[in-house]
Amino acid sequence: MAEIQRRALMQGAALAALSFTIDGAEVWLSPSQAQAQGAPINVLKPDEVETLEAVGDTLLPGARKAGIANFVDNQLGVAPGDCLLMARIASVRPPFVNFYRAALGAIERSCLSLHGKRFAELAPAAQYDFVDRMRQNKIEGWQGPPGPFVYFLLRHDAVDVAFGTVEGIESLGVPYMPHISPEKRW
Amino acid sequence: MATPEKVDVAIVGAGASASVFASVLARAGKKVVMLEQGPDWQNGDLISSEIWGRRLKTVNPAILEGKDRLGYSYNAGWGSGGAATHYFAMFPRLLPSDFNMKSAYGRGLDWPFSYDDLAPYYDRVAQDIGVSGDAKAEERWRPPGQPYPMPPIRSFRHGDVWLKGFEALGIKTARATTAINSQDYKGRPACVYDGWCNAGCPIGALANPSFTYLAEARRHGAEVRPFSTVTRVLTNDKGDRVTGIEYYDREKQRQVQEASIVILAAFVSQNPRILLNSATDKHPQGLANANGLVGRYVMAHTGATIWGMFDEPDIQNYMGVLSAMHWSYDRYGKTARPGVFGSILWHCSPAIKPNDIGGIANSRNDLFGQALVDFIKRGSRQLSRLQAFGEELPNPDNRVVLAGEKDEFGFPLARINHSYDQDAIGVWQQACDEGLQIAKAAGATESWALRAAPPTIHMVGGTAMGRSAADSVANGYGQTHEIPNLWLAGVTLFPTEGAVNPTYTMYAASLRGAEHLAANWNAIAG
Ligand SMILES: Cc1cc2nc3c(=O)[nH]c(=O)nc-3n(C[C@H](O)[C@H](O)[C@H](O)COP(=O)(O)OP(=O)(O)OC[C@H]3O[C@@H](n4cnc5c(N)ncnc54)[C@H](O)[C@@H]3O)c2cc1C
Ligand code: SF4
Repeated sequence: MAEIQRRALMQGAALAALSFTIDGAEVWLSPSQAQAQGAPINVLKPDEVETLEAVGDTLLPGARKAGIANFVDNQLGVAPGDCLLMARIASVRPPFVNFYRAALGAIERSCLSLHGKRFAELAPAAQYDFVDRMRQNKIEGWQGPPGPFVYFLLRHDAVDVAFGTVEGIESLGVPYMPHISPEKRW
Repeated sequence: MATPEKVDVAIVGAGASASVFASVLARAGKKVVMLEQGPDWQNGDLISSEIWGRRLKTVNPAILEGKDRLGYSYNAGWGSGGAATHYFAMFPRLLPSDFNMKSAYGRGLDWPFSYDDLAPYYDRVAQDIGVSGDAKAEERWRPPGQPYPMPPIRSFRHGDVWLKGFEALGIKTARATTAINSQDYKGRPACVYDGWCNAGCPIGALANPSFTYLAEARRHGAEVRPFSTVTRVLTNDKGDRVTGIEYYDREKQRQVQEASIVILAAFVSQNPRILLNSATDKHPQGLANANGLVGRYVMAHTGATIWGMFDEPDIQNYMGVLSAMHWSYDRYGKTARPGVFGSILWHCSPAIKPNDIGGIANSRNDLFGQALVDFIKRGSRQLSRLQAFGEELPNPDNRVVLAGEKDEFGFPLARINHSYDQDAIGVWQQACDEGLQIAKAAGATESWALRAAPPTIHMVGGTAMGRSAADSVANGYGQTHEIPNLWLAGVTLFPTEGAVNPTYTMYAASLRGAEHLAANWNAIAG
């Protein structure tokens, strides 16, 4: 295997890029770039995006800016076999959009019935409290996938976009050291 | 489309065990086709990223039930190399006491062969694929054998931090054995300790099948046919021979592949699923299932997982491999713990990334918000993991059956029921307690055990091998008791699991089975 390089050293800004279509052209962007450039959302509905971003930022401040909604939406639009979401390896059965729709819907319904407001409209302390109770399965009248599982998966999505990319790992002062950097292929 | 030409051997799956059979039989001059439901991964697909590495895992094709549902998708492979494309290559052996638990303790099941029968194959696998370890140190716990071809892989501070704790509790350790090159070996380079094993090691430092047995099989003409989902094994009118398999190709068209020998190497839930779905009037309960044992005795390992934060500037926990640096069989005794039965294996410490199942964030699932950000930052240089695999005994009610619901090919889904019994839970709890003592003695400033529920690590069983047709599905080579030219391969054959990762044993057993088949080809293939 002499021809195999031990390390395809990543030079410059290598980001885990996903394919987005902007103005009819296919471009490769990281979720955070997609968020910043307003890449279109194709699968999730606007209110679902709003909830996902607000819950994401409650779970991990910075998840919205890191592009949680673009990442999830983009991955819900590919075939299950190509999907990179944690839901895939947590044995959720495809289509994964069913899980997200049910989870985000359950959060909205519970917030409306408990607070008369959507999750994104709650004050930060109330958002924190809601997520804390969802984590412990302590939301009365919850209707949807188990709250702790929703917490687990959405939290993972937030961690993925904020700290699972080349940019995210390097932001911790830790070397990424890829053999094959994500950007090379995607 | 024309029916493909008849072959000598059709293997279902192109994973770890399939690769061993394919390599031995192709080298013996047999025409081998491997039908694999997933892609034929190339080195360039093994992108260094926890996120992108998820593409290597299966999309869940099963309905999961029971008190301790299996983490199916995390544990199952998809595509050439199977789960061993993204495995960690930690390579412990079973011990002699694992092979005769029923005879010795009246618990579990006996294997159809002993440790001594398998020992030469363990030694040969080590030479074949490249294993790094200190055999002499390991022989404190097991019978002597050949030295490993390479010295152990190197350790880092985040592994060494635990040694003081082990010592304080009188637990002897040894450097872990891995199928990872500590030196260049057979043209494959030494490991560079970047911790990307979970996403597949594209340089071949880790002995995944694509660099070892599968590469050998291809060199000798074996074909991997990707995106081929096998749904049934076909039999002759009398029902006493298999004639081939039915599968759906990448265009989702039904195909038949005729073969003299069929080997199912499709992992824990899929081997039973295919056998059960192959029922005929001669085999109304499914193939090889006259005794009703197909699908039973599915097992997983519990994992007592202890995390420790060490007050040092940088324990280099981002460096290393995903398997282990140190381990101990000192607490392996089946009856070593009061009131419960079963073995444990201590091991430490994998390289850790911030995200994914084994990542920093997941070590404290209760944290969120700014507390989580702060924790990830601290953990990225100070956190380390200690773990004990715990044994689960075979239980006939932990089983795979066919569900009413079907997939796109009309193939009934597998329904898998799994619950740990009191022994498995008790062993796990006691290991958690001991792990916390180790962490304290090691000087961890904070330590905690993940106690919410025992994880389901590895998966084995479902088509147990044994000595007799009355109490098992296949014999010790993998040949089904019922149909001589229908074979099974892989961890699905394990009657018990000990407390060790299964692949070294599975490779050794597959090599033994494949060579038996090659040596007795005419009698078996007819
Ligand atoms: C994250 C992880 C880490 C691991 N680490 C270790 C470790 O350190 N040490 C160790 O010993 N073990 C480890 N393992 C376990 C090891 O990978 C497995 O035990 C081993 O791969 C099992 O081999 P197998 O041949 O039985 O199945 P596999 O290697 O999984 O092969 C089965 C193949 O069959 C295919 N298949 C299934 N159904 C069909 C169908 N209907 N038609 C066609 N093809 C089909 C699958 O796609 C797959 O490719 C790890 C596993 C995982 C997931
Ligand atoms: S740590 Fe070693 S074995 Fe693992 S991916 Fe890197 S080079 Fe390969």
